[in-house]
Amino acid sequence: MNKVMLIIKREYLSRVKKRSFIIMTLLGPLLFAGLMIAAVFVTQADSADHKIMVVDNDGLLTHYDAQRRAYIPNCVDCFPERDGFNYYFTNINPGDSIITDGDYTMIADVMNDVYETKTVELLYESVPSISSTSRIERDLESAVERAKVMSAENIDYETYKRLKVDLRLNKINIEKGENAFEQERAGIGSGFAIIIFFFIFLFGAYVMRGIIEEKTSRIVEVIISSVRPFQLMMGKIIGIGFVAMTQFLIWVLFSALIWIVIGTLFESGMLQDTMAVSQGMSSGQPNLDFETYIQQQEGFNMLLSINWTLMLSMFVVYFIGGYLLYSSLFAAVGAAVDNETDTQQLMTPIMLPLFFSYAIAIMSASNPEGFAARIFSFVPFSSPMVMMVRIATDTVTWWEIMLSIGILAVTCWLMVKIAARIYRVGILMYGKRPGYKELWKWLFYKA
Amino acid sequence: MNALEAKAISKSYADHVALNDVSITVPEQSVFGLLGPNGAGKTSLIRIINQITGPDSGEINLFGERLSEKHISQIGYLPEERGLYKKMKVGEQSIYLAQLKGMSKQEAKKRLDLWFERLEIGDWWNKKVEELSKGMAQKIQFVTTVLHDPKLLILDEPFSGFDPINTALIRKEIMRLREEGSTIILSTHNMASVEEICDNIALIDKSRVILEGQVQEVQQRYHANEYQLKFEGNMIGFTNALWTNFELISKKSKEDKHDVIVKISEGKRLNDLLNAVTSEVSIIEARPHIPTMNDIFITAVNKEKEKS
Repeated sequence: MNKVMLIIKREYLSRVKKRSFIIMTLLGPLLFAGLMIAAVFVTQADSADHKIMVVDNDGLLTHYDAQRRAYIPNCVDCFPERDGFNYYFTNINPGDSIITDGDYTMIADVMNDVYETKTVELLYESVPSISSTSRIERDLESAVERAKVMSAENIDYETYKRLKVDLRLNKINIEKGENAFEQERAGIGSGFAIIIFFFIFLFGAYVMRGIIEEKTSRIVEVIISSVRPFQLMMGKIIGIGFVAMTQFLIWVLFSALIWIVIGTLFESGMLQDTMAVSQGMSSGQPNLDFETYIQQQEGFNMLLSINWTLMLSMFVVYFIGGYLLYSSLFAAVGAAVDNETDTQQLMTPIMLPLFFSYAIAIMSASNPEGFAARIFSFVPFSSPMVMMVRIATDTVTWWEIMLSIGILAVTCWLMVKIAARIYRVGILMYGKRPGYKELWKWLFYKA
Repeated sequence: MNALEAKAISKSYADHVALNDVSITVPEQSVFGLLGPNGAGKTSLIRIINQITGPDSGEINLFGERLSEKHISQIGYLPEERGLYKKMKVGEQSIYLAQLKGMSKQEAKKRLDLWFERLEIGDWWNKKVEELSKGMAQKIQFVTTVLHDPKLLILDEPFSGFDPINTALIRKEIMRLREEGSTIILSTHNMASVEEICDNIALIDKSRVILEGQVQEVQQRYHANEYQLKFEGNMIGFTNALWTNFELISKKSKEDKHDVIVKISEGKRLNDLLNAVTSEVSIIEARPHIPTMNDIFITAVNKEKEKS
């Protein structure tokens, strides 16, 4: 078997078999899932009073009552009185200001030609709970059905079925607009950037510690009498890189599994009931399918708006690039010192760009098209993190991605070369802790 | 055929010369002692043979061929600073290191069983190295050095860290390996073991070879017409009887029993010495004084010091 493969295999297996790896790998996605579910439940907590302005553009559902100087529904029973949940009616959309001024919480705009479009636009500022929106949906559905029935003559069952309306609530956040989850998507992007940051930080440090261990235990001399130092270094970097990819892959699979399990539970009605109870909803309403449910959840809806295939494949590419770049630096530092306490000084030039890139990536989330985000998505030391944000927010073109990957690849190649030179000299040097000047000299030693 | 020929090897690092025109020849199936004070350049030479570093100039031939990457599997190297993966199991680790040398897993397993039996360490297979004592770890290290059946073994201080019983055991194994056809380069400061097991030596000092040859021949060379006499009688009478052709090198006395080393000048023989002193004292024993490797080492190194 190829010697590098042997080294990769040892590095990989010795780490994957560790208890700490298994625990971390299994707990990671559970932790994520827990956080997400918690986040959803927090947004569900909707105890606020609702005042809903129903806009009846076609005049199908309401008539003007001159005495009360107000529009009242043709079907009063369709809009039953509830505590803290009141409908008001008008025939012209009064504009978003009634919400921003705080007079109303939502506008339910029954579109022109509702029999055909079957659409109601629901505008709001703060996200309503699912119980509120499905209540509105039901009420409006029955009102529209009633209006249809009233206008029809001789109703038989066939006609009745035709008259039955399945309204679609088109939910619009008046601040963010329709389907514009830019912030949330940037959040997902920075989530990926954070994962890349931690993976580089964590697994790069593994590379460094592994090399220090080989050096202090002195086994390195035995090994480089069998393989070239470059093979040993790359074997270690690649082996540990596979450990990181394994961990990530298991996280993805596990998350997908959790998604499917929750979905199945949901569609079987079990979860829906418990959620309904927890949200004070009357149970026994028609079962929703999971996808629709998710669409109704603003927190989740944006998950569906992300191109996951692109996101995950770019994560892999940028992780490999960033990891290779930084871990070769970590390898050079590991080879230069005798023990971990000596690494402090030499780590600074690795840590500074790493943390800086992290900060830029987080900042880019609020302005993914800004100058800093654009520039640093090409700089190889920061592109793996910053580019994830830009890809998530869909503010990047194909050629930009290709160019950024190209620059990263060339830099990686260069960095590995430089690291290998330092590594080759460093692993056999004991005693004094080398300074930068010394390391610079090592670059030019002949083998 | 010679197992190893190093011709005019020079190697310098940034701030010092490690090897200066060093040539050695190691005959096949012999034990070759690579001697020298600390920092003389032995490790540099060993690393060059192991292809860990390359020489600045000079050439190395292994079994008649220019040293190349394919020879890696034919060399077994036990560095002075021992090291194994502490968290790795003994069996797994030995096989891994043999695989790195190019041996197949099955073959390595088979040979490991054999070696564990030979060194009586069969039940260590699943132990982690960190659970072993220093001596036990040394044994494992020796096994990993020979496991891939190398034709050339380079052992740097192989006996350090062993108790006398294990030292004898390892020595026996080294001799057995030589019998079975291996060539061994032994770098050591333990001069007694050099006399016992080395066929040839090279003494490196300050990056140059200052002494080279077969052990007995070197000893002959340094014997320099010296004789050891044991006699009974008057020491003063003995010294008075020595004339200009004889020089008293050392003396040890216990009451009127004496043990001296006398150097005889060029052209004279032991008979001349005996003729000169037999009338004064009664000789108990007379034999040529063969210098120990220890003496030779010190003499040779000191001579170099005087030169410079």
